Amino acid sequence: MLSYIARRIVATIPVVLMVALFVFSLLYIAPGDPAAIIAGDQATPADVERIRASLGLDRPFLVRFFDWFWHVLHGDLGTSIFTNLPVTHMIAQRIEPTVSLMTLTLILSLSLAIPMGVIAAWKHGTWIDRAVMMTAVLGFSTPVFVIGYVLAYIFALRLDWLPVQGFTSISEGLLPFLRNLILPAVALGLVYMALIARITRATMLDVLSQDYVRTAKAKGVGQRGVLFLHALKNAAVPIVTIVGIGFAALIGGAVVTESVFAIPGLGRLTVDAILRRDYPVIQGVVLLFSFVYVLVNLGVDLLYTLFDPRIRY
Amino acid sequence: MRRRAFFAGSIAALAAPSIARAAQSVLRMVPQANLTSIDPIWTTANVTRNHGFMVYDTLYGLDMSLQPQPQMAAGHQIEDDGRTVTIALRDGLIFHDGEKVRAADVVASLRRWMKRNPYGQMLAPVVDELSALDDARLRFRLKKPFPLLFNALACISSAAFVMPERIAATDPFKQINDATGSGPFRFKKHEFNSGSLVVYERNPTYQPRPDGAVSLTAGPKRAFFDRVEWQIITDAGTAAAALQQGEIDWWEQPTPELRALFAKDKNITVDLLDPYGLCGAMRLNASQAPFNDKGLRQALLPAIDQADFMAAIVGDDPHDWKQVGGVFTPGTPMANDTDATKLTGPRDFALAQKLIKQAGYTNQPMRLIGPTDVLAPAAMTQVAADLFRRLGFNQDFALSDWGTVVQRRASREAVEKGGWSALCTSFSSFDFADPAVHPLLRGNGAGGWFGWPTIPELESLRANWFDAPDDAARKAICADIQRVALDEVVYVPLGTYSGFTALRSNLKDRVNGFALFWNLRRT
Repeated sequence: MLSYIARRIVATIPVVLMVALFVFSLLYIAPGDPAAIIAGDQATPADVERIRASLGLDRPFLVRFFDWFWHVLHGDLGTSIFTNLPVTHMIAQRIEPTVSLMTLTLILSLSLAIPMGVIAAWKHGTWIDRAVMMTAVLGFSTPVFVIGYVLAYIFALRLDWLPVQGFTSISEGLLPFLRNLILPAVALGLVYMALIARITRATMLDVLSQDYVRTAKAKGVGQRGVLFLHALKNAAVPIVTIVGIGFAALIGGAVVTESVFAIPGLGRLTVDAILRRDYPVIQGVVLLFSFVYVLVNLGVDLLYTLFDPRIRY
Repeated sequence: MRRRAFFAGSIAALAAPSIARAAQSVLRMVPQANLTSIDPIWTTANVTRNHGFMVYDTLYGLDMSLQPQPQMAAGHQIEDDGRTVTIALRDGLIFHDGEKVRAADVVASLRRWMKRNPYGQMLAPVVDELSALDDARLRFRLKKPFPLLFNALACISSAAFVMPERIAATDPFKQINDATGSGPFRFKKHEFNSGSLVVYERNPTYQPRPDGAVSLTAGPKRAFFDRVEWQIITDAGTAAAALQQGEIDWWEQPTPELRALFAKDKNITVDLLDPYGLCGAMRLNASQAPFNDKGLRQALLPAIDQADFMAAIVGDDPHDWKQVGGVFTPGTPMANDTDATKLTGPRDFALAQKLIKQAGYTNQPMRLIGPTDVLAPAAMTQVAADLFRRLGFNQDFALSDWGTVVQRRASREAVEKGGWSALCTSFSSFDFADPAVHPLLRGNGAGGWFGWPTIPELESLRANWFDAPDDAARKAICADIQRVALDEVVYVPLGTYSGFTALRSNLKDRVNGFALFWNLRRT
């Protein structure tokens, strides 16, 4: 197992490298010029050229790529063209809100969606099943920003229970932390919840029709035991898979959610950097996201062995 | 007991920053854009200019009638028929790091500024010597009189901010990292989170000017807030809700459609940000076909109805925009009505079509470029696209984000090779106030603003304007500049529109012009 984990971690390196090369190439060919944005409307073409040269943007593609890559190998993601701050510093400033948001979203989604899916399968064909599925379809088909606005309107503007926007670090207290983050987490989590609830229901329906479930019931195992100990464990592999795949959707959704709720996270950093063509920041954040995504999928693969002992690496 | 004391101490320590903050008077404001760079010389972004006025001071300020007034300067002495100007600094000027402001700091700052600012670039070749006579006095020795010296030192865009000599020695094309100034607020570098939060604290050592009236960047700059937070909220709906809920105190530039919503809220005051208004403009690419043809540029004018362009930005209320009859910001000293009827006379679409035919337009391709993500240029571009289509142009309408537009507009290629023919944009009123700062009133071809018209007469008039001895002479030259500019159609003025700002009603005495934070207080 340990050698498998080591091999998988080593295997992430070429994946991340490919992502790095792809993103760098994409940014190189994409239109937009940070020097022109910096110089502003009063600048002459000569001014723009001088700024471009001072930023090293006039160098050939390969020179720029290998220079950047060499620094990445040394743990240096470069310096933001605009803020002149190290990209690692900017990521460090933004990582806590994003990690907090995603963690809370995951906790909320998993703790609600899995029971919902299990209950829907158990009460298959009843109004409970239909209600759960309708909620799932609604959650899946409503854009995150619409959910965000509606939640903010009801709970912040109308009821005045929660703040409209912002982020409070958990170090300033759990309550203020949750007050700021609960609406974004619900907004972001609805899609994820819908995805997990649907897959849980479908897999549970399949598992509940298996012979061993009937046997368990015949042996007198209670309903809760059948559902959560016998059936759910065997339905877990597809659920864990969808949790891993859905993580990408969560990253994408975080970008929108952070904008709607003015959370200073990595999603907003990415959007801002793309809009102003801050290449080092875009490259750094995408590299980080791709690395995290690869690690999450590795975690998912390892969880398979926990739920299904037949799987061996 | 010790454990309880430990927990109590821990809680107190954790709560300490917020308790300390609560005791301060804090102003929370949403700026017009994210502050990405803190160097107001390196970039001309307006938000960086606003940051500059927080942390730096200038030798001269500009009042609302656009007249220079001493700010850091105690006074000046003009000798040798205007060829020698000695400026004395006020007492008590101290940088945020505790060092005294010396004339040597001012000299170094002005040298850096002169390399980037349009006024400074005209001043630099005239300066024979700029030196510090002692810690409190600096001297300009000029090759010839420069009557607009004080206007230059007081200009708003890319202002002549005074920094410590060690910082001002930086190449003007390289960004500074240190925002040490001597202005009324100190930049809190360690709390700076670009894209999220910018924090300033009141500079306790700042000595406001003892005399003069508070007006734009002139007069006493008294800070009434201990702490000012710029909170970057990019989503308009979220910013509006935050203002309504009192989570923020001030939103610098709300989108126009929110005005009606705010007007219904007694806790929010809606006010004009800049009484002069923002200026809309259509620039035609004079270096490439089809608009390298002066006749074709002129043919467009009768079809331009400023009301269409302005309504697209601010809506139907006629109080929110003004028709302009010239190339200078209405209400500013250089504004005049020479050939105004070309812009304000009866509109005649049929005449425009006829003139286009007469100009020999034979369906050559033209490309209109514009953004989708910046409100005013996006709205005006849509109107322009409709206009070009109705006029029968063979138009390629290319929309993109602003970042792409600023690159694409720099292309001097023909339309077939990715170039462009027309674009719409807007400028601050101060950018159109006089020929020195007006970016579109240049005729210096490739060295000028995108569109690159080559009009030697315009350049010559501009040079004369700098040498003009008094306001009357300058105004006369500006009338000529306007005549030439409208004849050559260096750009098409599209009107001025009100930029409004929204504040909580308990704030008062805001200084008009742009986001300025001195004098503002809570009732």
